[in-house]
Amino acid sequence: MKSGDEFELHAFIDGELSTDQQAEMLEAMRADPELARQACELGQLKAQLRLAYADPPAPRQRVTAKVKASWPAIAASLAMLAFGLVGGWLLHASAPGLAADANRLVVLDPEGRGQAPAAAEDRDTRIVFHLTNADQAVAGQLLDDVEGMLQAYAADGRPLRVEVVSHSDGLDLLREGLTRHKERIHRLAGQYENLTFVACKNTMDRLRVERGIEVRLIPDAEVIDSGVNHVVKRQKEGWSYIRG
Amino acid sequence: MNDRNGTLFANFGRRRRLTQQIGAERQRLYRIAWSWCHDSHQADDLVQETLARALAKIDSLREESRLQVWLTQILANLHRDQYRRIRPDTGLDTDVLAARDDPEQAVDRSMLIARTRRAIELLKDDQRQVLTLVDVAEFSYADTANILNVPVGTVMSRLSRARRRVREILEQQGIGHAEVVPLRRPQ
Repeated sequence: MKSGDEFELHAFIDGELSTDQQAEMLEAMRADPELARQACELGQLKAQLRLAYADPPAPRQRVTAKVKASWPAIAASLAMLAFGLVGGWLLHASAPGLAADANRLVVLDPEGRGQAPAAAEDRDTRIVFHLTNADQAVAGQLLDDVEGMLQAYAADGRPLRVEVVSHSDGLDLLREGLTRHKERIHRLAGQYENLTFVACKNTMDRLRVERGIEVRLIPDAEVIDSGVNHVVKRQKEGWSYIRG
Repeated sequence: MNDRNGTLFANFGRRRRLTQQIGAERQRLYRIAWSWCHDSHQADDLVQETLARALAKIDSLREESRLQVWLTQILANLHRDQYRRIRPDTGLDTDVLAARDDPEQAVDRSMLIARTRRAIELLKDDQRQVLTLVDVAEFSYADTANILNVPVGTVMSRLSRARRRVREILEQQGIGHAEVVPLRRPQ
């Protein structure tokens, strides 16, 4: 068969021929059973392909549920956000020297006032680190703090839970190819079960829509809907808050 | 109401309508994307990105009846630019391997699907795209040519090569048709 004829047979199967051409083809097939059989096979192949892709596997759910303690309470997020903003402002206003290294650990009371944790409770200490800075040196310091904290508590056998929330420019800490701390994060996450690295999905979506960047996270990162909401929620739950 | 306002409102209506239509195309786009990369995560990324871009430049769509072609065009461009280079080596499909010892199972529908997919996976990128656009997405040759930005003649030759190759692969796997005849008769 010449390739032109072969193309015509494909075109026939694919419904690309005019009515006249179709009639000619049907006529030719009546005279040539071999041609008819080939057409039939091509038609079967086409149907087979359609079947093969009729039901592709669904995309994996990407918002993981590991960090989910009573998470559905998002309804109150607007109120909490307002609370968080005011709290942050009070924190800033009432605690000079907050940024100084030793004194960055702050416990917020229900009114949103910050206080140094001179007598932080020994049992069930919970700390959320919030990274919004792209500077990898800052991120490194934050990891130093995290690791120091985990080591100290582990040495004393005291319970501790730590979350590192990366958000806005701070997301770089958890981005494949951008972070300089991938190995360290992997080591820490493997070593300490009570440590979680969390990436803000809002930030990822914004990068995608606004700048066309498809964020790829390192494997140790969990994803939550909104970094801001999460941090505010943690503060409200009584977690200590440290800004990196 | 002056003309300008009329146009403005017409545009709003158009936007809202198109936005809805674009959203409704998600599943169809996902099927195409998945048939290209065989990776649900990657296919989902491609579709997300396609929808985001489509919504961002919705005003550049002139003929609304061309929406499906336009969207698939965006998908194909993204696939070409971002994903083709980093496409992982087509690893061995464990489903297919596990069942290879059991000839009775080879007739199962799921087996047929798995092996057909495997055969498509082994095609060259350009052949796979043409074949899935025509057979799975059921685009015309002209639309397919448009989407991939190649002449119609190229679509036809790729299509014919792709189908021949798929048949060869399926025959090697032992699930060709009972009586297999070569497409090209002896000259």
